[in-house]
Amino acid sequence: MIDALHGIIKGAVQTLSVTIQNWLPPLLAGVTILLVAYIVAVLVRLLLARIIRGVAFDRFLSQSGISSIIDGTGRLRATQLVAGTAYWIILGIGSLTALSAFNTLLTSRIVETVVFLFPKVVTAALILLAGFWLAQYLGRSTLVWAVNEGIVFSRRLAGAVRIVIVFVAVVVAADTLDFARSVFLAAFIILVGGAVLAASLALGFGARGWVQRQLEAESQRLHEEERSVWHHL
Amino acid sequence: MSGDVSSASDASPPEPGAALDCADIVVGVPTYNNARTIAHVVRAIHTGLCKYFPQFSAVIVNSDGGSTDDTRDILMSSRVGGVPILMLSTPMFPVHRLSLPYHGIPGKGSAFRLIFQMAEKLRASACIVIDADLRSVTPEWVDLLLRPIIYAGYDLVTPHYHRHKYDGTITSSIVYPLTRALYGRRVRQPIGGDFGVSGRLISRYLQRGDWDDNVARYDVDLWMTTIAVAEGYRVCQSFLGENIHATRDPGADLSTMLQQVVGSVFSLMQEYENVWLARSGSESVDLFGFRRDAALDQIPINLPRMLQAFQRGCAELGEVWEMALTDDTLRKVRRLVADSHFHMNDDLWARVIYDFACAYKERPLERGHLLRSLAPLYLGRLASFMIETQDLYSAGVDEKIEQLCVTFEDLKPYLISRWTGRKPAEPQNRTKMGQELGVEVKS
Repeated sequence: MIDALHGIIKGAVQTLSVTIQNWLPPLLAGVTILLVAYIVAVLVRLLLARIIRGVAFDRFLSQSGISSIIDGTGRLRATQLVAGTAYWIILGIGSLTALSAFNTLLTSRIVETVVFLFPKVVTAALILLAGFWLAQYLGRSTLVWAVNEGIVFSRRLAGAVRIVIVFVAVVVAADTLDFARSVFLAAFIILVGGAVLAASLALGFGARGWVQRQLEAESQRLHEEERSVWHHL
Repeated sequence: MSGDVSSASDASPPEPGAALDCADIVVGVPTYNNARTIAHVVRAIHTGLCKYFPQFSAVIVNSDGGSTDDTRDILMSSRVGGVPILMLSTPMFPVHRLSLPYHGIPGKGSAFRLIFQMAEKLRASACIVIDADLRSVTPEWVDLLLRPIIYAGYDLVTPHYHRHKYDGTITSSIVYPLTRALYGRRVRQPIGGDFGVSGRLISRYLQRGDWDDNVARYDVDLWMTTIAVAEGYRVCQSFLGENIHATRDPGADLSTMLQQVVGSVFSLMQEYENVWLARSGSESVDLFGFRRDAALDQIPINLPRMLQAFQRGCAELGEVWEMALTDDTLRKVRRLVADSHFHMNDDLWARVIYDFACAYKERPLERGHLLRSLAPLYLGRLASFMIETQDLYSAGVDEKIEQLCVTFEDLKPYLISRWTGRKPAEPQNRTKMGQELGVEVKS
């Protein structure tokens, strides 16, 4: 009994020591890599913040309205953007390198997936950014036009324009990432179809009276013509 | 030469002809479907030239924008014979007429460019331009626009019209106060339509490379005045009396008009930044002609609709106005909606315009939105002005406009500080200073 218990404990200790022997070095290596990456990222961020005096780039960000899309206050600076981007890229590379240190099937897959997805994610992010910018711009155009035309629900109209454009951007971005493609496509078709149907109904109801008047006038005219033709008889 | 018709493009004006290689005076008449008025305008010009400048050779240059009516035929066939005219002296030279269709970019700017090119080719010492749709033009206009150039050495003669108190309100509430505060010259009609220009200034205009830009294309009058006052040319005004046009474009949309006119002023502000940043106060500009008042046609106004447009703007356009107006100005604007006695004072209006000018510079991509969103604010200011001046005659209204101009000048340090990002200098409130000193302050 005691021997059996001893054997079990010994086995467990051996397994644990093997596991530790197998995992501890890569774990330590991973943590070290992460730590180094973090220190490098912080240093690079500090360095870039001091080196870059992106006055022209700041102006571009502010004038194009990109700063207000990324940062709600609209006070985003070029130095912040560049330094922040460099910081996260270094941290991301460090994380992937740290994961690679484990050298298992799972970690290899994760690294591969991230490397494979990265360009797509960047493309999708750019599409979304462009979509948000366009939505803001066209939304404002609609708003100003609607207010000057005296349309009552100007802000709602502008909001609708923004939603449609952002939705289109999301659909395109999702398509780029191969993410829930059919769901977004179906939703998009339903939305556009619904909007067209609503517009048709609105136009139809609005124009009903006009069409009726036109038909009545035409019928009256024909009647008059007919009367004038036969009148002399 | 009379009756010659030549073609011209923007780049190269036609040769005026062997018989006509120089002229002392060029009178430009840009036309576009003005068959109803062109004969009267040409007769008035012809009479004016014969009566006041008989010793000078003159050419009437018509620059037609592709009229589809009989404008050009009427212009070429219009004669002063048969019209009883009192001639004080016999002209030494005949008055020639040229009609040149222009094929450049549509707009008044292309027509002006062609006229100036012809004036330069003919080595004219003076050129005047008169609108072809005027019903109020008289032979005296020719004298009033030409004499200061020929006999007094001025480079630009701008018109000074007698207008209804509610006519030309974009000029009186934005363009005049703003250009006056910026460039320090009190030119009452910077976007007049009828001008006299010296040969020297014509050469300067033609040297410029921005004829194809929007400012020169659509607001050539403002462009001409601004260049002249900013670059130190000698400018004066002539009182021409009423300015009655045969047609006004009824489809002209207010927001589009504001976008073009105010956008042009702001655009020129950027170009002449170094000039206006260095100038302060303003000085008067010589005025020729005999000032007289006459009864003018009433202008129908719809005050409730203006106020409604302003209120709608306040309720809906916050996100656009926030891009231009400071928090304080925006708060004051919004507070007006709740006011039982609606009044947008001069100080607030000047700040609104200055804020928009700075936003125009800082946000090039949003310029269209900003300028179009100015329409409800402008209507609010106009409603306030109309409430304030409904019982006033023209002298009283002129005084109000003068007060507005002084406010614009007093607030120029505010504009400079916002424009340059520097700390504002001490405000120079001349009206207040004058009151403290017990002196009447005249600007």
